[in-house]
Amino acid sequence: MRKRIVLSNTNALEVQGLRELDAGLGETNGEEVIGQVVGLMGSTVDSLRAVEAFKTAQGWGLFRRPGLLVREESVALSRKLIMSEEGEMLRLVIDGERGTGKSLILLHAMATAFVRGWVVLNIPEAQEVTNAMNDYAPLPGTTPTLFSQPTYTANWLSQINKANTTLLQDMELSLTHNLPIPLQSNISLSRLCELGARDPDVAWPVFQAFWAELMAKGRPPVLLALDGLNNVMRESMYRAPDTSFVHAHDLAIVNHFVGYLSGERKLGNGGAVIAATNRSHAPKSKSLDLVLTQLEERQLGEEEITEKDPFEKGYDGRVEWALGVKDVLKLKGLSKKEARGLMEYWAKSGVLRKRVDEEEVAEKWALAGNGVVGEIERGALRMRI
Amino acid sequence: MSPRLNLFGASRSLVIRARPSITSHQSWILPVVSRRGFADEKGPNAPKGPNENALGHVSEEAADMSNIMGETGPDLGQGTPVQDILKRDKEGRGKAPEVIKEEMDGNKADSTSFANLLSLGQLESIAAGGHGTDPVTVDTVGHKYALPDLPLPKNANFKYRYDPIVAQVTNLLMKDGKLSVAQRNMSFILNHLRTAPPPVPNPVRPLLPGAPPPTHLPLNPIGYLTVAIDSVAPLLRIRSQRGAAGGGAALQIPVPLGLRQRRRQAVQWILDAANKRKSRGSGKNQFALRVADEIINVVEGKSSVWEKRQLVHKTGTSARANLNYKPGGFRR
Repeated sequence: MRKRIVLSNTNALEVQGLRELDAGLGETNGEEVIGQVVGLMGSTVDSLRAVEAFKTAQGWGLFRRPGLLVREESVALSRKLIMSEEGEMLRLVIDGERGTGKSLILLHAMATAFVRGWVVLNIPEAQEVTNAMNDYAPLPGTTPTLFSQPTYTANWLSQINKANTTLLQDMELSLTHNLPIPLQSNISLSRLCELGARDPDVAWPVFQAFWAELMAKGRPPVLLALDGLNNVMRESMYRAPDTSFVHAHDLAIVNHFVGYLSGERKLGNGGAVIAATNRSHAPKSKSLDLVLTQLEERQLGEEEITEKDPFEKGYDGRVEWALGVKDVLKLKGLSKKEARGLMEYWAKSGVLRKRVDEEEVAEKWALAGNGVVGEIERGALRMRI
Repeated sequence: MSPRLNLFGASRSLVIRARPSITSHQSWILPVVSRRGFADEKGPNAPKGPNENALGHVSEEAADMSNIMGETGPDLGQGTPVQDILKRDKEGRGKAPEVIKEEMDGNKADSTSFANLLSLGQLESIAAGGHGTDPVTVDTVGHKYALPDLPLPKNANFKYRYDPIVAQVTNLLMKDGKLSVAQRNMSFILNHLRTAPPPVPNPVRPLLPGAPPPTHLPLNPIGYLTVAIDSVAPLLRIRSQRGAAGGGAALQIPVPLGLRQRRRQAVQWILDAANKRKSRGSGKNQFALRVADEIINVVEGKSSVWEKRQLVHKTGTSARANLNYKPGGFRR
């Protein structure tokens, strides 16, 4: 019940003439779609649901079908994703105040990846990886010792399989693997994931084999996504044998993700690594905040870059290493045009019973801290001002 | 009737004039008509613009001429329609626009067509500094957005910004003075009503006369809530007067209730019924979910609240003989 996702409201009106989110967004069209809501196709919705891209508090259940507002930032992100198919992989951190749509930009990236035929691996809540609610075991032969999470990995493999099943079914094994279970040489990657999902004890080795297959030549691009970056940029709640806390980067899954985010390892067939921060109810990480501030200042071309506080002990060198990204996408409020497009979509769905004109948009926009989209929604649909 | 083309006004607005010392608050006076405060002197000391010494225009000339000739000339305070000028001016008639020629010939163009009026309105709003699509009224001049209509609507005060019934139910939902929790519950209830399937009313339990059809209710959650509450709201309450019936027995006297009182009673009954329901899951919104389900049950006629209302009404009917009881005895 608490985690139930409802994606349709049969009472809401169907919006006529809704565009679909297709592979062309950011390639053939872009600017003219900004400020419009696009619908998600059925197959994309199924995949997104499988990777748990929809969150409970996002209000999907109020509308007839899931739709997504196209913002200026999302078109720019689509362009970058398309470019990364050919050239260098995209490494990006999405940051922004509470309610500015970080998770939805991440969802937009995933939806774009699905419609463009990428393989998507998503960690929907980084908190679930690090808060010591799953079983864990040290991986033999690793220094420093890494810890695998068998059940979580098995579950993750089944999610990956479910979300990308049409792609993975057509891909056969191309490499030889040394796995603790017997493996036929001609099975599909989908079957490989199934084998790993079935037995948590072999889930991590199977995942590594699966990943090696994805990195082999001729495979589609890969999107690695993670929501709630703050939770992995600190020590986890797991304990090492000497009762010290295990650093989150020593958890095998996080280690895998961070290796690509930092740029240490490269995606073989192009693709992107995207992480979104969490700004409500998230642990503080001094280093994360510092690095993101510095990155943003560099992007804006400011002369003075914030420096480390010499009297602060809470910095974490591993976090600074892991955030060796070039790009940070700092989200701000919507523009008035985007806000108007969104509110018109609400009105057309019959959910907002008001006349949407310039005055109404300006009022809601201003009351929502210059267009913070979560606050606009709260004011207009949740009746809490 | 075609709009009067005011060439007179247009030419006057070109003249640079001294700004009147009193700015008028009467926004309905069109800005093209020049204003002069009562205290303004129009003497020789008044500063003059560079082209104010020029000869008067056609109407002024005609007025001067008629003044000399002793006729009644054009009224300068009114602005002369261009047709009147053209009647006098034979030369100008040939050069007049086609529209005016047609009008003077008697076959008028249809200026009242919808498209014409629409584009005229759009031109006006562009001239007033707005966009073609968002009309700018005269009130907008000098303001970013139009001034509010007076009297202000009741919910214009931020303390009374919610619908009265929503505000009342929110307060009744509140426990331990936690208003924001109650507001969260209220918004959950309204959104649940919005997403739940349309109710199927029971003909035995008729809703309020004039209630919208059940299919219209979900998209109007406040209306849904209002229909549910007002349909089961009792018309009266029973006051028990101790010892008035003789022998120490209480006398039951029906007392009519006001609107808020009726709604309050209905909401309390609904909350009582909701508290007796079982939760269907876990999580923090269980109370709100139970209340929302009870509201749907009320509209579908399944709720026990209907019996409570019926009981009160029945007692009231049987006790109506006691209406004329006053402290000290029955009044004849």
